Amino acid sequence: MNFKALLTTSLKSRKFQYALAFIAFVAVLPLFVRSEYLIGNVLTVMIIFALYASSWNLLAYSGQGSLGHAAFLGIGGFTSALVAIRLGIPPIVGLFIGGLLSAGIGLLVGLACVRLKAWFLAMVTFGFSVIAVTIVSQFDSVFGGMIGFATPTIVPQGVPFFYATLAIVTVSIGAIFLVMRSKWGLAFKAIRENELEAKMIGINTAKYRLLAFIISTFFAGLAGGLYAESALFIQISIFEPYYSFLPLIMAVIGGLGTLEGPIIGSIIIVAIDSFAHLSYDFLQPLSPLFPGVNNIGPPLKFVGLGLFLIVVVIFLPKGITSLLHRLYDYLREGETKKVKEK
Amino acid sequence: MITSITPAGLAETLLWGVANGCIYILLATGLNLIFGVMKLVNFAHGQLLMVGAFVAYEITTFAGLNPYASILVSMGSLALIGIVIEKFAFRKVRGTEKLNEIFISLGLIYVFQNIATLLWVENYNIRIPSPLEGLNLSFGAVAIGYDRILAMVSVVVILIGLLLLTKKTKIGLAMRATSQKSDAAMLMGININRVYLYTFAVGAALAGAAGALYGILFPFNPAIGALPTIKAFAIIILGGLGSIPGAVIGGLLYGIAENTAVYMLGGIWQDAIAFALLIAVLVIRPTGLFGEKGE
Repeated sequence: MNFKALLTTSLKSRKFQYALAFIAFVAVLPLFVRSEYLIGNVLTVMIIFALYASSWNLLAYSGQGSLGHAAFLGIGGFTSALVAIRLGIPPIVGLFIGGLLSAGIGLLVGLACVRLKAWFLAMVTFGFSVIAVTIVSQFDSVFGGMIGFATPTIVPQGVPFFYATLAIVTVSIGAIFLVMRSKWGLAFKAIRENELEAKMIGINTAKYRLLAFIISTFFAGLAGGLYAESALFIQISIFEPYYSFLPLIMAVIGGLGTLEGPIIGSIIIVAIDSFAHLSYDFLQPLSPLFPGVNNIGPPLKFVGLGLFLIVVVIFLPKGITSLLHRLYDYLREGETKKVKEK
Repeated sequence: MITSITPAGLAETLLWGVANGCIYILLATGLNLIFGVMKLVNFAHGQLLMVGAFVAYEITTFAGLNPYASILVSMGSLALIGIVIEKFAFRKVRGTEKLNEIFISLGLIYVFQNIATLLWVENYNIRIPSPLEGLNLSFGAVAIGYDRILAMVSVVVILIGLLLLTKKTKIGLAMRATSQKSDAAMLMGININRVYLYTFAVGAALAGAAGALYGILFPFNPAIGALPTIKAFAIIILGGLGSIPGAVIGGLLYGIAENTAVYMLGGIWQDAIAFALLIAVLVIRPTGLFGEKGE
């Protein structure tokens, strides 16, 4: 399918129109939301993590579940900030250098993982993130250690950065969508369903698994660069397992293997993260039960998050997206009925 | 932190490595048993170890029980916890995609770690008080604590118990049958659900025992779970999947490798070396050093 034909069919597709409407909706949000905190620390972070979760999701789309994506987030973040500060390269270029280096290292990790399945892969990627943080913590003069250092930004913080992020992430997720819909995406899917059968019908599984790794780690690195800029500083805690598990939780809760799942998951998880503290006052009566803890809010939040993940995996294996699809189908059904009645 | 390397220092490093390896052996054996029978990898296994350590700590400090007796209480409690999570979490996703099990165990990691934080955060980096603390048995220049010797003995006793359970009892026979071919076992009238439940309970109990021993030898806190899981996993891969003798040899090798790395290169490399080893084995020989065939 050539590009023009793709564009015309896409424009006719109802889902594409919804996607455009959603992007337009996000784009006008700053006109109504005046709070700097909400724009800079909630909406922008939601958009960045939507890309990060989408990059993880693409890898899972090819049947490879990574537990060490934080390594690539960190590599992207540190590289983009360091080349901008040390070499004076414009931050926007630094962002892509970060993504490229992340993809390069992703290729090496992918090569090591090419024969591995499910949990082996999960372990090796997790191990890689631990090795990465060990190495990085050896060079505090470069990486700033536990304190970190300030990062440059491509455009001023606040609304301009929000729009820059939205533009970059929209293009990136669009690219991920095209990959998922292309012949490559088909190969990824075939490998995920049954690697042996995929091999039998002539798919070079090693090549496509590596491709998935490279594309995924590139966008994870890009998200890392954006995240470092949005946070105004970067420190080695970006390599923590927390950041490896985050995209997984987002993608699974939203809907694994779908385009919209990671985006929905990112919105939900970042919203929980940003607004959970509002509920801490209500939880205060519980605190005498746990005398040793100053603030019972954060641990309770994580217990809730863990239970939420388990419940979603058990009862909604296709994520929250499947609920939306059901709602959509229900509405469509009503529509067609009306048409028939007419 | 590179110290001068002496023969006595090296011998001591090896001996201590074997002792540390023993704890990992217990954890790895539990993980391996669960994997062998259920084809399931419980990434929250290290969190079970952490809970076991706290249970043993509570029993020792409040009930005044001998720390080595508290191992049994810890095993019992963890077996119950294992039954609950098998029945209400893992059983629900059995037969679906393999990744779902990883997601469930990730959720369990969050739940266990943070409940432990709520209950025990004031006990940060504590150890289970042992009456033998600080007492060493020395052979010339080489010394080893009595606690480490007793830990090794406990591990051997528990492993013999496990061997008897799997070889001499009916449920052990059912476990072995299920691990070979679950469909065929089911056709022979074995209640698979019950076998899985018992297997998970035994695996969790082994993690509980490992936790109690860990708590006697090392300081612990609610966040220690993740590393032991990965180390146990590395050991399983070293020794070969589903092979219990492999887990024992893998655990000893691993404990020695880790301790030698610390002795030669310094403490910060302890965990990174572990993973480098793990990745090297996986890349060069994905079926493990002793494994017959891969998954």
